[in-house]
Amino acid sequence: MSDTLSAPPPALELVDATRVFTRRGGLFKKAGKAVRAVDGVSLTIRAGETLGLVGESGSGKSTLGRLALRLVEPTSGRLLVDGRDVTGVSKAEMQAMRRDIQMVFQDPYGSLDPRVTIGQSIAEPLKVHGLWDGDGPQKVAGVMSLVGLDPSRADRYPHQFSGGQRQRIGIARALTLDPKILVLDEPVSALDVSIQAQIINLLQRIQRERGLSYLFIAHDLAVVRHVSHRIAVMYLGKVVEMAERDNLYRRPLHPYTVSLLAAVPIADVRMRNRRRTSVTMGEIGSATNVPPGCRFHPRCYRARLVAAAGGVPTERSGDALLPRACLIDQPELRACGGADQVACHFPETPETRSEVATAVLQDIGYPPIRPIPL
Amino acid sequence: MRYFRHPGFLIGVILLTLLLIVAVAAPWIAPMSPLETDLANTLAPPSAAHLLGTDQFGRDVLSRLIWGTRISLQVAVAVMALSLSLGMVIGAVAGFFGGWVERVTVSIIDILLAFPGFLLALALVAARGSSLETVIIAVALAFTPRVAAVMRAVVLTIKPRTYVEASRAIGMGTMRLLFLHVVPNSLPPVIVVATVSAATAILAEAGLSFLGLGVQPPAPTWGNVIADGQSFLASNPLISLSAGICIAVMVVALNLLGDGLRDTLDPQMRRSSGRVL
Repeated sequence: MSDTLSAPPPALELVDATRVFTRRGGLFKKAGKAVRAVDGVSLTIRAGETLGLVGESGSGKSTLGRLALRLVEPTSGRLLVDGRDVTGVSKAEMQAMRRDIQMVFQDPYGSLDPRVTIGQSIAEPLKVHGLWDGDGPQKVAGVMSLVGLDPSRADRYPHQFSGGQRQRIGIARALTLDPKILVLDEPVSALDVSIQAQIINLLQRIQRERGLSYLFIAHDLAVVRHVSHRIAVMYLGKVVEMAERDNLYRRPLHPYTVSLLAAVPIADVRMRNRRRTSVTMGEIGSATNVPPGCRFHPRCYRARLVAAAGGVPTERSGDALLPRACLIDQPELRACGGADQVACHFPETPETRSEVATAVLQDIGYPPIRPIPL
Repeated sequence: MRYFRHPGFLIGVILLTLLLIVAVAAPWIAPMSPLETDLANTLAPPSAAHLLGTDQFGRDVLSRLIWGTRISLQVAVAVMALSLSLGMVIGAVAGFFGGWVERVTVSIIDILLAFPGFLLALALVAARGSSLETVIIAVALAFTPRVAAVMRAVVLTIKPRTYVEASRAIGMGTMRLLFLHVVPNSLPPVIVVATVSAATAILAEAGLSFLGLGVQPPAPTWGNVIADGQSFLASNPLISLSAGICIAVMVVALNLLGDGLRDTLDPQMRRSSGRVL
């Protein structure tokens, strides 16, 4: 905390952000149960950094991305952009904030208005912010070239482009205002694998050239590995692990992270054939009915192993024997091994690593990762 | 022009253009006055002087039909403009903003839709007395909830599209978003409903006139001509029949136009090589 005065403020900071969705009751239907889509998440993204945000469908990661833009208003918590608190600011200030933080959407087909030419789409942010002037067309041509689109095609319609090209259009549109932060909501999930690599390379090049910060949302650990400096793993609205990229893959702390790693596809056939471990987890729990204690306990292999090994107070839950702590206490995110954080009563530290985690790590091996300069 | 590659649209436009020319040029192309009676020559069969014969007052049926085109087109255009503009705004606001605005609007629409449109029009004409304006207002009011209901339904399908959220993400205001992206993308189905409603409006005007509640005789409208001819259906079927054919032609033309617009307004259907007007 002592260096906060000298160090530049983080590009984006979420403090204890919470978003609860409720379905209002009508004349004949009861009010729906509250869904805590994002439940007290704090995170920071430094300037020029990529924070990977990983979780299954329903973990609240997309809602968190939208909270960062205030596309979804937080129920509680604070949002700071460049050290400025923008939680409750007026419309005009919001407008200014939107110039600094932009978003790229998952669906390259749906994120462009089919009746508007791509040139107009890319120019739209400038017009909305009253920045359209004589240089406008040049700016549009500039970002189009930057993302690898031919500026002479500005007068075409979205349906005349392929999925990968449309994602480039989406990126160009997000870049027109020259923002400092991009929220990338599964930007390559809808694309062919060969196109995914192109888009990721493009995003990394832009980050280097413009010093952008990325919040990169993904549903598995395969893609974020190549782009992230740090990775946050979300489960049912909470961050359960936050670690430096390499640490997360070499010594995952949370059993959920281990389970996700066990599901990472392995491209190398020899490596894949040697894979022994799969961690079956069943479906993600329901956010309307979050289990007490640790919300991961119904699916956690580690809790069962710890309980079976003895030495901790245990309790029956259904047909499983689990440590009492997992059933009662909700673990908070705490430091575990340097700067990495984990929310688990029995994290997989190198000293206490379970045979499951060891096997998973052997399976995925340590394929070399291209270093990304910060 | 891509529109004219659509055969239905082309036929619709040609027919409507012809009807429009007839309506505008009525004073010059009508062989005689539509009101001039000739009691010596009533219910005459078709002849060189009266191509479609005369009615029971000896008025030239062809001239009455030509002048009637004016009133029918006026009704169609006015009803379409009124119900479309009102219905679209109401439906778009209800669908887009949701909440209590939507609930109140939808309830009112449902109540209005529960009345048969024709009865609603009848009631209004009965209350206000019959005139061209009353007929237009009555039919437009009957159609507005229909347009609004369709508009709301379409807006509800547009609202969750990613490009709407993407527009919010760049900081676009709600009104701008509604009228720049949501409404234009909702237009095709609503325009189809509107052209159909114009066709039905012509039928409604004819129906009201037939009942004596529309434009008052002796004004030449197609509905009045049918009403005049009904007593003589057995002996002189041509009077009612020719007016009926006029109505049918205009209704078909409007429906073809609606279908053509629906098909060509969809950008995916545009087959031109890139640049589109």
